[in-house]
This record gives sequence, structure tokens and C-alpha cells, in this order.
Amino acid sequence: MTIALIAGSGMAGRAAALTLRRVGWTGEIVLVGDDPEYPYDRPPLSKSVVVGTADMSKVIKPAPEVYEQDGIDLRRGVTVTVADASAKTAELSDGSTVAWDALVLATGCAPRQLPIPGLELPGVHRVTRLDEALEIQSVLATGPKHLAIIGGGFIGMEVAAAAVAAGHTATVLEAAPKPMSRPLGPEVAERVLQWAMDRGVVVRAGVGVEQVSGDDIATGVRLVGGEEIDADLMIVAVGQTPRLELAQQLGCEEIVGGIKVDAGMRTSVADVYAVGDIAAFPSKWADEDRIRVEHAAVAIGHGQVAAEQIATGEGRYDDLPSFWSDQGDLTLNVVGVARPDDEIVWRGDHALPACTAFYLREGKMRAAFSVSDMKTLRGVRKLFAAGVSPTPEQLADPAVDLAALAAAG
Amino acid sequence: MTQVSIGSLSDFPEGTPTRVEADGTALCIVRVGDTVHAICDDCPHAEASLSEGDFLADDMAIECPLHGSAFNLTTGDPDCPPATEAVEVFTVTVDGDSVLVDV
Ligand SMILES: Cc1cc2nc3c(=O)[nH]c(=O)nc-3n(C[C@H](O)[C@H](O)[C@H](O)COP(=O)(O)OP(=O)(O)OC[C@H]3O[C@@H](n4cnc5c(N)ncnc54)[C@H](O)[C@@H]3O)c2cc1C
Ligand code: FES
Repeated sequence: MTIALIAGSGMAGRAAALTLRRVGWTGEIVLVGDDPEYPYDRPPLSKSVVVGTADMSKVIKPAPEVYEQDGIDLRRGVTVTVADASAKTAELSDGSTVAWDALVLATGCAPRQLPIPGLELPGVHRVTRLDEALEIQSVLATGPKHLAIIGGGFIGMEVAAAAVAAGHTATVLEAAPKPMSRPLGPEVAERVLQWAMDRGVVVRAGVGVEQVSGDDIATGVRLVGGEEIDADLMIVAVGQTPRLELAQQLGCEEIVGGIKVDAGMRTSVADVYAVGDIAAFPSKWADEDRIRVEHAAVAIGHGQVAAEQIATGEGRYDDLPSFWSDQGDLTLNVVGVARPDDEIVWRGDHALPACTAFYLREGKMRAAFSVSDMKTLRGVRKLFAAGVSPTPEQLADPAVDLAALAAAG
Repeated sequence: MTQVSIGSLSDFPEGTPTRVEADGTALCIVRVGDTVHAICDDCPHAEASLSEGDFLADDMAIECPLHGSAFNLTTGDPDCPPATEAVEVFTVTVDGDSVLVDV
């Protein structure tokens, strides 16, 4: 019997396991995750889960019985500790050894560690795993709270916006002078930040956190310079780093901070695939030789392609990368690959409730950012699919029908 | 499975998604000519009500108002990310003027 071993049961690993059966793989599927939960979607954690509005059947999915029905040997709370490329074996923390024919690395990221004293105190939370998000939920459920959020990336801003919308108060502390500039570029990031502040989120950018204050329990943070910020709970969301230990044991080639793969998600080591946050993959939508992105839809697409490759020897990942971020009542959608130094063209005015910005490089549309402007977003997808890049003037003019431009070719 | 009456044809304006509850199931109903389509109103991706989205006549699909996956009214399949799962499609019978859904 041939065995496909999947290390990591997050969004990419889960997709690989479920797809293997769908495309007719008849071998064994062993899906190993160090998280004790059934596989779940990570994006809701920082949005609906922390404030308790999530429909959990849409977070933990598919339903647990699906693994049994599909004959997926799901090992929860188990770590793949050692992987060997020449023997084609892996050792698991439950004491077992798996002899694999194909190995999918889907190990995702680990939260970045900050050298700040006091982070270990009770009252300091993270939001990368379901159990952590549920812990925050149980604290917020006891009444209005003030949150100090260390890190003003998407995840920190999402928690802040969700908490404020639910009647709490939140202060976001960010070391960079312009939060979210890296993924969105400074001009768009500034808008998003302003919208958050208009909704009551307090943002302190360009500040350093010196320590978490409190003796037995965290009571706030002290900033560099001495200012104290009191808080009922603290959330650390300062980014993450890919977990490459297994790939390194196997000797997989690395590039741009991830594991180098081809369009079929194959690493440099035979029968070893890398998917999701750890994968540095080729994309016709980017200028770079390989890109690495930390977004859900990409992770799922990677998992599906790796499964197709294992089962049929075919399948390429060439989707248009996209991601979304829900910040309270605002939903941001980004399609394409944006760079912080791209030229920005706004469509019409850049005011809410609905607006779109385009990212241009060498005069060509590379990405679009949109808030509640679904018609434009759909037009943009059609333009990308048709390989049509309108002029900046056309993009800027709300009267121009983008879908029609795409159809005209 | 039960067949439930959800109203008459004139209750559903052409091409305008409408939310109805049928036997405890929230449905998104769209009438196209004399044909009525019913899909689950709950977007399989996150927390959106599909009847708040737009009907895309060219694609015969409903576009989710939050992140833009468009669900085909016949197959239920999404056309682009972030949704990856199909939405449930329900069988609709138009009997004279009355609209019946199997839920
Ligand atoms: C709070 C939060 C909000 C997000 N919001 C969005 C969003 O709105 N939109 C968006 O596009 N993206 C979002 N993302 C990003 C998205 O969730 C990730 O890109 C996606 O989950 C990556 O999938 P993955 O499978 O590569 O990694 P993960 O989903 O992180 O899964 C990796 C899994 O592998 C396990 N693991 C690691 N090493 C081992 C080992 N040796 N043995 C066994 N198991 C192991 C880990 O514990 C983990 O469970 C968000 C992420 C987080 C954390
Ligand atoms: S909620 Fe419908 S696509 Fe996200």
C-alpha cells in the first residue's frame, strides 16, 4: 500500500488530504497535526471567534466524521519529529514510524518571539491557534475590556476592530511608523488605518514596547520612554516565521525564506512537496522567481495541487493570488501581487463606503485593493484573466466598465 | 425531504436575490424569467448572507457580498477564491403561480 504522509493539519495540509481522495488516490493518507483540535480555518480566529460571533461549524470543518468516511488517518496532537529523505520514513511523537511514498510538508508558521520581559504572564494572549482565540473569547465575554494589542499588522488590526465593534476598547501598539505598509503600500495602509481610527481603534505607531507590566498577571505595557498603558488583556500579534525544521532535515532547497518548489509544489527532494505558508513558489503574477505568501486561499490551492500531483502526476498552481481581511464592518479584498513601492491609482474618490485602488508597476496593473466595491473587483479578476491592463486613466474613471474592457481583450 | 411553499412568482422580482426561510433553512431565491433558483443563503466561506449579494446574469451566479466568490445557481460551485466549497442547491418547482422548494 502506498502512503501519503502530510505533516501539518492546517489549511494547506487539510486541503491536500481531502483533495487526495477527491482525485481518486487509493493509497493511505496520514494527516499529522500537532494541534489537538480537528482541522479548522485560521482566518476567523482574529475576527469572529475572539468576539464570540462565529458559527463554529464553519470554523472547524469539514465535520469530524468526514475524515473517517474518507479514510484519512488523522492524528491530532501529534508532531512529526524526524523526516528522512533516503529511507523515506518519518518519526512521530506518538512513537510510531511512517514509511511514506509521498511527503507533503504543510507546517505553516510559528509566532515570532519578541525579547520583551513579561510576555509569559497570564493575561498576555496570542491568536494563532483556536484554543488561544477561544481563551480571548472567554475573557471578552465577561464584560467590556480594554485591549492592548502589540503589533499593528492585519491580525492585530482585525482583533482591535472586532473588539471595538463588540463594545470593547483597544489600543494598537506598532513599532513601524506606518502599520500595514508592507502588504498594502503606505498610501493605502494610511487609509485603512484612518478608517480603523474613525471607528474608535486607538493606534500608536512608531512606539517600542519595553515590557509587560504586572507581577502575577499582566496589567499593561510600558513603552520605551516610560509611558504606561493599562489594559485588561494584551494580545501579541507581531508576525511569524515559517517552520522549516523538517524541510531542513530532508535537505530541501530554500529561497526567499521558504522552501523552493516548482509549479507542482515539488521541492528539490524527490517525492517531497511543500505547501502553504512555507512554500516559495513560482507565479506568473509576480516579477520575482519565487514568492512566499501567507494567505489562506493560496494555502488551500497549494494543498490541492500537491494532492493532484501525488495522485495523477499532473496539476500546476498558477492561481491569481488573493486575500481578504475583515476589520469590523470593513472588508478589504486584495487580488494580485502588490509591492509597497507600486504606484497607486484610485478609482474615483478614495472614500467609503466603497472604493478601489490599483497597484501599477511600469504602467501595468499588478494588483487591486478594494473595499465593498464588488463590481470593480470582479472586473479586475476578469482583466487579469484576459491579460488586459487598462491605462491609468481608464482605471481611475468609475464610468469605465472594466469587465467590458476585459471582454474586448 | 419536504416540499415547502415559499410564495408566488410575483414575490420574487426578476434577478433580485431574496432571502426566505423554508422549514428552518435560510434560502437565497432568484427568479430568472419563469425559472426560480434556490441555494443556501449562508455563504460556505464565512459569515455572509448570499441574498445580500448581486445576481450576475452573465455567469448565472450569485456573488458573495463580502469576498466576491460567485456561486453558480445550478451547480453551487464557486468561481474564484476565497470560497472553495459549493453551496447547497435546492430543487424548485413552479406550479402555476406558486413556488415550491424541496428542503
Ligand atoms: C489569526 C489569523 C488570521 C488570518 N486571517 C487571514 C485572512 O483574513 N485572509 C487570509 O488570506 N489569510 C489569513 N490568515 C493566513 C492563513 O490562515 C494562512 O496563510 C494559512 O493558514 C496557511 O496554511 P498552512 O497550512 O500553510 O499553515 P497553518 O494553517 O498554520 O497550518 C500549519 C499546521 O502545521 C502544524 N505543524 C507544524 N509543524 C508540525 C510538525 N512538525 N508536526 C505536526 N504538525 C505540525 C501547525 O501546528 C499547524 O497546525 C490568517 C492567519 C491567522 C493566524
Ligand atoms: S463570506 Fe462569502 S466569500 Fe467570504
